[in-house]
Amino acid sequence: MVTKTDETQLNRLENQVDNGGGGAWEYLCLVKKLKVRRPEKVLKHGLSILNDPKKRSSLGPDEWTLYEQVSIAAMDCQCLDVAKDCIKVLQKKFPESKRVGRLEAILLEAKGLWAEAEKAYSGLLEDNPLDQVLHKRRVSIAKAQGDYSGAIDLLNKYLEIFMADHDAWRELAEIYISLQMYKQAAFCYEELILSQPTVPLHHLAYADVLYTLGGLENLQTAKKYYASTIDLTGGKNTRALFGLCLCTSAIAQLTKGRNKEDKEGPELQSLAAAALEKDYKQRAPGKLPLLASALRSLKIS
Amino acid sequence: MAEDLVLDTAIRDWVLIPLSVVMVLIGILRYFVSKLMRSSQVPDPKIVKEGQVILRARNLRAGANFIPAKSFRARRVYFSNEENGLLYVPKGQAQNPQAQMFSDPNMAMDMMKKNLSMIIPQTLTFAWVNFFFSGFVAAKIPFPLTQRFRSMLQNGIDLSTVDVSYVSSRSWYFLNLFGLRGLFSLILGEENATDDTQRMMQMSGFGFDPSKSLGAEKDGLDILQHEWALPKFEQRAETVLRNLVR
Repeated sequence: MVTKTDETQLNRLENQVDNGGGGAWEYLCLVKKLKVRRPEKVLKHGLSILNDPKKRSSLGPDEWTLYEQVSIAAMDCQCLDVAKDCIKVLQKKFPESKRVGRLEAILLEAKGLWAEAEKAYSGLLEDNPLDQVLHKRRVSIAKAQGDYSGAIDLLNKYLEIFMADHDAWRELAEIYISLQMYKQAAFCYEELILSQPTVPLHHLAYADVLYTLGGLENLQTAKKYYASTIDLTGGKNTRALFGLCLCTSAIAQLTKGRNKEDKEGPELQSLAAAALEKDYKQRAPGKLPLLASALRSLKIS
Repeated sequence: MAEDLVLDTAIRDWVLIPLSVVMVLIGILRYFVSKLMRSSQVPDPKIVKEGQVILRARNLRAGANFIPAKSFRARRVYFSNEENGLLYVPKGQAQNPQAQMFSDPNMAMDMMKKNLSMIIPQTLTFAWVNFFFSGFVAAKIPFPLTQRFRSMLQNGIDLSTVDVSYVSSRSWYFLNLFGLRGLFSLILGEENATDDTQRMMQMSGFGFDPSKSLGAEKDGLDILQHEWALPKFEQRAETVLRNLVR
């Protein structure tokens, strides 16, 4: 997790490095520690260190991890030649290393040679069947080829062992959604809410899935999760506000004619609508009529 | 009485300093030997999975109130049913670690390697100290101590009349054995220090049983009362929005 202080420090360092103030190595270390994705900057500043023999040798053994970091950043930027050079240097230094083997496989994948990459990954997995990165790379190959059901199979197999890996659950949920398998996606989002109960994005996504599924019970649940998102974000999330309005009107439509159990519903909706109006007035006054008509159509139906 | 004992400087030169130097050298040697013999441990998939199951079950227990009752019940059954629940460990099947150790030669080998690098040099140096330096009064600490420290500082000298601030050679060996850790972490780097005391603790606490923690998680899940927290959130959202709109 990247905390606020980490982020400000990172931005400060980035600014300093960009303006030629030095501290490139510290910046690269921080990027690696926080696992943030800044490939262009890493590539630029990492190469500037690596191309300077004096700076490079002053790193000592950290030189090699820098090669690794730069090669991955280079692949991220599609500078495959740079990545290849970096990996070649590493290969020379550590001929038998699995870690370098992994980089080579990733390079194959970056070139789009799926079959070769797949073969390299499965070879590496035989030696170390519990390497999480390798499993994830295989999923990404399947996904890159458009083989979504294959990706789902691989992810499920991975999650059978590493079932506390919430990033994998999120990936699975997104794949399910893209295949319109909402029930499965809902399960994944429940899992995400369990592992990180205070992240509003999971609540929001879960509510979206439930709303899409439809049905009175799901709609009521969705409304509750939209409400929790509003609570967790302090009412700043526009999508959650819209979702709440939509849910309330959909519930009202379904329960029309029946006696209403949900008494506080309309009030929450009007509050959400008011919050939306206020937000639009502040940030996009030009779109106010659009919002008004949308809300009106919701209330009428 | 204490003034009567004068320590020969030869004792300092030939007992105290050699003993300390040898202890340091042996510690460093042992570090490198154990580094040579260390085999990269391949973690057992089953153990990894058990750890992950426990983590996920703990998440479920902590966040149960954030998911609908139906979802919670489905998960609880998944974890703790008595046919193939993840947390359910059939009676009798729970492996006892001792048996597991004997059935897995790799594990026994590992233990032996660890012990070899620890016990052999220790016994050898102890024998060496005992043989050459037994009964020496090797040093004097510059402050008086109470009688309680006698067993710690005068191991190997059975005289109750000697002042406690004199240290026998065997005790000096023990002080070195347990006290050089800071020096090792300076020489060999922070984490590489060969820490005997900690290793001994590990040895005694070896009987860790994963099936027990699985059972504990299962019990925790079984007695959990599910109380959906989300209806409360609706009211909280209402107050949040009220404050926002105002």
